[in-house]
Order: sequence, then structure tokens, then C-alpha cells
Amino acid sequence: MNKTLKISFSLKNTYRVNGILFSLKQIPLLKRLLPAALYKVRGLKIFANILSVLWEIVSTFIGKFLYFVTMVCGAGILYSGLPENAVFLHILLILTVIGSFTNTHLFNPTKDKYYAMILMKMDAREYTLVNYIYSLLKVVIGFLPFTILFGMDRGVPLWFCLLLPVCIAGMKLTYAAVTLWDYEKRGFGYNENKLSKYMWGCIALLLAAAYVPPAFGFVLPSAVPMGTFLACIPLGMASITRLTTFRDYYAINKELLAGLTNQMDSTAAAQLVKQVNEKKISTDTSITSDRKGFEYLNELFIKRHKKILWNSTKKISYVCAFLVAAVLAGIYFLPEEKSAINEIVMTWLPYFVFIMYAINRGTNFTQALFMNCDHSLLTYSFYKQPNFILRLFQIRLREIMKINAVPALVIGGGLALILFATGGTYNPLNYVVLIVSILCMSLFFSIHYLTIYYLLQPYNAGTELKSGTYQIVLSVTYVVCFAFMQLRMPIMIFGIMTIAFCVLYSIVASILVYRLAPKTFRIRT
Amino acid sequence: MKFVIEHLSKSFEKKEVLKDINFTFEEGKIYGLLGRNGAGKTTLFNCLNRDIKADGGSFYMDTDGVRREVSADDIGYVLSTPTVPEFLTGREFLKFFMDINEKSIKEPKSIDAYFDYMSIEPEDRDKLLKDYSHGMKNKMQMLINIIAQPKILLLDEPLTSLDVVVAEEMKQLLRSLKQDRITIFSTHIMDLALDLCDEIVLLHHGELEVVEKTDLDSKEFKDKIIAALREGENE
Repeated sequence: MNKTLKISFSLKNTYRVNGILFSLKQIPLLKRLLPAALYKVRGLKIFANILSVLWEIVSTFIGKFLYFVTMVCGAGILYSGLPENAVFLHILLILTVIGSFTNTHLFNPTKDKYYAMILMKMDAREYTLVNYIYSLLKVVIGFLPFTILFGMDRGVPLWFCLLLPVCIAGMKLTYAAVTLWDYEKRGFGYNENKLSKYMWGCIALLLAAAYVPPAFGFVLPSAVPMGTFLACIPLGMASITRLTTFRDYYAINKELLAGLTNQMDSTAAAQLVKQVNEKKISTDTSITSDRKGFEYLNELFIKRHKKILWNSTKKISYVCAFLVAAVLAGIYFLPEEKSAINEIVMTWLPYFVFIMYAINRGTNFTQALFMNCDHSLLTYSFYKQPNFILRLFQIRLREIMKINAVPALVIGGGLALILFATGGTYNPLNYVVLIVSILCMSLFFSIHYLTIYYLLQPYNAGTELKSGTYQIVLSVTYVVCFAFMQLRMPIMIFGIMTIAFCVLYSIVASILVYRLAPKTFRIRT
Repeated sequence: MKFVIEHLSKSFEKKEVLKDINFTFEEGKIYGLLGRNGAGKTTLFNCLNRDIKADGGSFYMDTDGVRREVSADDIGYVLSTPTVPEFLTGREFLKFFMDINEKSIKEPKSIDAYFDYMSIEPEDRDKLLKDYSHGMKNKMQMLINIIAQPKILLLDEPLTSLDVVVAEEMKQLLRSLKQDRITIFSTHIMDLALDLCDEIVLLHHGELEVVEKTDLDSKEFKDKIIAALREGENE
């Protein structure tokens, strides 16, 4: 038993350590500095090992701490006027019930289980039980300081605070035993990451039961949760027999981990993405084109990907139009809010950078372009001739700009309308700047995504995403757009800045694409 | 016409995959490129097709002593896993290809004539390529690569995963195509190489060398190839 635990540990440690080293090697600059034989460098191994052990300790406590601070006590503060201990126990009991089936450890498909039982053929029963006991110990030890700290603060007696972690573990054990029994009866494997809609319904109901009644002044008298919790101790103990006598651990794990193979094997995962993209191709046989050459290729591509390009942009536009109409209706019925809304429209333009970012179809477009078109055509030398690459770039840029411009016009026009309806502005130029700058944002994202796709072409022949730089650029784009949400600036200043930036960016991007794309737009090797 | 490679080299980090490739390929012949797993066959092809940048060396076409750069349309490169644009039908792909290569295709035929030539059945011609079988995708890829009549045809293990009938058709096709061009064919299957190729070239320790057949019988020739590939194994 000791040996199994030791092996599980070193296995988990090894893949965590290698995982850390692997991610270090994904960072573009470090990649060149680090040798291929990185995984045998002792110093790095020790460093990554320390990180890994620290994480094991920290993860035992940090989650539970946050859980108490936010879900149990934090939310509990909202219900003033009710006995603190009763609110605490009421919420904790119901959340523990939810946790007993959503956080089981036993039915969580994790990589370490896959490595140990499927790949390394460790004894499934022993491995599962040893690790399950370890996870329960982590539950008890991890909860103990916080049940004492937060429980006593809420007036729960110390003896009960001491027993609470054991009760929580008991409830988990009980649920595990019931699930195993259910498996024996019905052969139904449970997976805590793939809950049925009924389970989700249960969670919603339970969450409501935890947080809604206290808002109306009702909580379970503390004797009820206390009794229920205490009952979990004998129940949990009785469940241990069920767990130790259960024989089919290999079978339930095999079923549980079946979906994991695809996720872990990056080639298989990439294949899956490829297949998903292939399914997006319309099989409508009436689609044809009268054009020639690249326009012919492009038109067929756009028509056969209408679902992910035009249909979704249309949907977004309808939603935006509806929202604008709703705001206009709101203004009509609540005229006193006019000046507040006017103020918002006048100064919240930076916020729309993030909205335009969120609704942009650029990444979907470039992904479909690669998976269903460039992935194959880039293996033909005729396709890689510089003038052909640039010709197609122009056509594609035109298409994606058109697609993204529709919702941009709806939003820009809608905002101008709202501005007008809420009392207008002293400077009519504001309307123009508003519409043009929103349109510019949309154009910017269209150019941005297509440019980085052409300059960094991040995929390899197996359709795996291989460029760290590409991912970094995408993340930076997100962070910058997110940061804009915090910014407030008058339309005139921000709008003019946006327009100027877009024009500048387009010029720089075009120059870069013309200079570099014929060399960079290749399949990665 | 000759295709000359001089001092071509390529390394990945510290591993020298291609050390010093020197070779002259001659028109009208099929060259069988043999090498062990990881010997660098695909790397060599990728360098010649300019998919990756070589670290050093050069390659050029030599027609009666006149040198010229190898241009993109000189090379047809057929990959072991055929890749075709899934959203097009066979006919559309062919039309697109012929549209944009209008100027370089000599004596173009009708689209159906090309399909007939490759034995692609009429009912398959208007299907989306994503629904083509492996063998049909392979034929399609081959067709696109030979319409423009490239001077050099690079084939990276093209017959390995085809069924026997298609493989036989492809072999016949390659034989019929070998006039006026240089065909370089990489494979792991020795019998195929001996059956189809005029010359056997080994890629070994980052260098290319020809294996002379002279008056050896087939068995002796095989043994010689294996011995050459094993050489230096325990260095």
C-alpha cells in the first residue's frame, strides 16, 4: 500500500515537473535558450519538483479557504438579522451535498489515473483505494483549520467544528458507495465532469435552497444540519466496506478515462479539431460559383462556410439591434434616465473595444481557413507563389471585413441613435466619430487576426497549434481589450484616437504582409 | 537536364540531419531514396521544396551547362498523407488549379479527360473532397502535381497506404511519367524501390550515396543495401 502511494506520488510529480518544463519551453525566447535535453537537467528538475510539492500543500488549503471566504461566510454576511451559526450551517450543509457528487475524486477523470492504471497497468483497485484515502485525508486536513476558524467565528461550538471535516468526508464516502452500488445494479458509470441535465437541475435547486430561503428570513434550525452532518460519520464508516469489497475498479476507470485519450494525445486532439471544422462545410450541392481563379476559390469557401461566418454575424447583428431597441424603449418609458444614459454613451466608447473584440469572427475565420483550405493547399507549391499569396490575402481581408462590418454598423448606428434620443450632443461631429470609430474597431480586428495568421501561420501539418508567439499575441490582444473596459473617455478624443490608430495599423500591417507573408505563410515544421 | 545539389546541410538544434548532400540527378530516371527512420528523407524533400530553409549549400537546374534557379513550379511534391481542400469537389479543385495556372499548363485537356486519365469515376467527380477515400485523395493530389508537368517530382512514401489496385495504377503512372523529368521517390519498402526505380540512393549519416547494382542479383543487391544502411550503426 505504501509502495502504491509512493509510486502514485512520483508519477504525479514527474508529469507535473515535465509539464512545467514543457511549458517553459513553449515561451518563444526561452525556447532558444533551453536545450532539447532539458528534461535531464538536475537543477531544473529540483526547482520544478519544489514547485510541485509546494503546489500539493497549497492546493490542500487554498481552495477550501476561498470556499469559506466566498461561498459560505461571504455570502452569509448578506443575511443580517438571522442567527449567524444557523446561516453558516445551513449554507455549508447544502453546499457539502453538492460537493459530495461534484467533487468526488473517485469519479474525476484525471491524467494521473490514466497514466497509472491504463498506461502502466497498476492494480486498479489498490491504486484507486490508496489515492481515494489520500484524497479524503486531504479533505479532512484541508478543512480542519477553516471549520475551526470560520465556524467558531460564527458561534459554532468547537467540538462540532472539529468533527465537521470528518462529516464532510463521510458524506463524500456515502455518495461514492451509493454510486458504486448503482454501477453494480445498472452498469452506469458516473463521471463528475459530465453531469446529466438532471444533475445540473439538482445543483441549481440545491444552490437555490442554500441561498434563497435565508434572503426571506428562513434558515434550517441549527439542530437539523448538525444532526445530518453527524449522521454522515456512521454512514461514511458503513460505506467503507462497500468501497473495499467493490471489484470492478478497472472497468469503471476504463470507462471514466475513455474520453481522456483524445484530450491527452495532442495529435488526436488536433485531429478532433480538424474533424469538427470539416463538419462545418456545407454539403448543399446547389452551391456553385461563376467566378474564376482565386475569386472562385474564395466564393466557394465563403458559401460553404456560411453557417459559421455569415449566419453567426447575422445573429449577432439581430441581438445588437434588439438591445438597441430595448434601450430606446427604456428611454421612452423612463425619460428621467435620459441624462445618465447620454453620459454613458458619451464616455463609454472605450468599453466597446472589448465588445467589438468579443463579437469579432476573425479567429473563427482564420481557423476554418487553415483547417479546411490552407492546410491542404499549402502543401502544393503553386499555391505558395508570392503573388498568389498576396492576391488571396486581399480577397480574404475584403471578405472578413464585410462579415465583421455588419454588426459594427448596427452597433455604431444604434449608439448614435441612443445618443440622439437621450438629448443629443452639442457637437454633431460626435455622431460621425461614433459610427466611424466603431467601424474602425471592427476593421482593426479583421486586419489584426488575418495579419497575424499570415505572419505567424501557427499550425503544423498535423493541424496542431505550434506557435507560442501566436498564442501570446492573442492573449495580449485580450488583455489590452479587457483593460479598455476600465477606461472612460469622451467620444471625440477616444474616437479620433481609434481611427488614427486603425489607419496606422492597417498601413503597417499591409507593409508587413507584403514584405514577409510570402516567407512566413507556410505549414510549420 | 540535370538537377544538382551541392553541399546542402540542415541541423535541428545540435542534430545534423543533412550534413553535406552532394548529388546530381538525371532526366528520365526514377530515383529510389532509401534511408532509416529519422535519416532525414522528409527533411531533404522539405528543403528542396523550400518548406524549410536549409542552413547551407545550394541546388539548381542544369540544362546543357546552363544553370538556373529552381522555381516553385519546377517541383511537384506528393506527400505520403494526401491533403486536398476538403470544401471543394474534385472538379472544382481541378478547375481552380487550371484557372490560376492557365499560362503554365501546356496543352491543357478537359477536366473530364484528366479524371479519366486518373481513373476517377464520373460519380465521384462532383463529390466534396472531404468525402473522398484515401486512395482517391491520393490520386487527386497526384493529378494536381502532374498537370503542370513539373521537371522534378518528389514523392514521399506515396504508395505505402494504398490498396493493391491503386498502388499498381500509380506505379504504371509513374513509369509513364518518367520521360523528360526527374522523379525522386522515398520509401521504406525495398521491393517497391527495386521494382520501380532505376537508381537506388541511400540517405545515410546525412549524406547521399548511390548503390551500384552492376551484376548483382536481386538478393545480393538487397543484402548490399542493408549492409550499407547498417554501417556505422554502433558508432
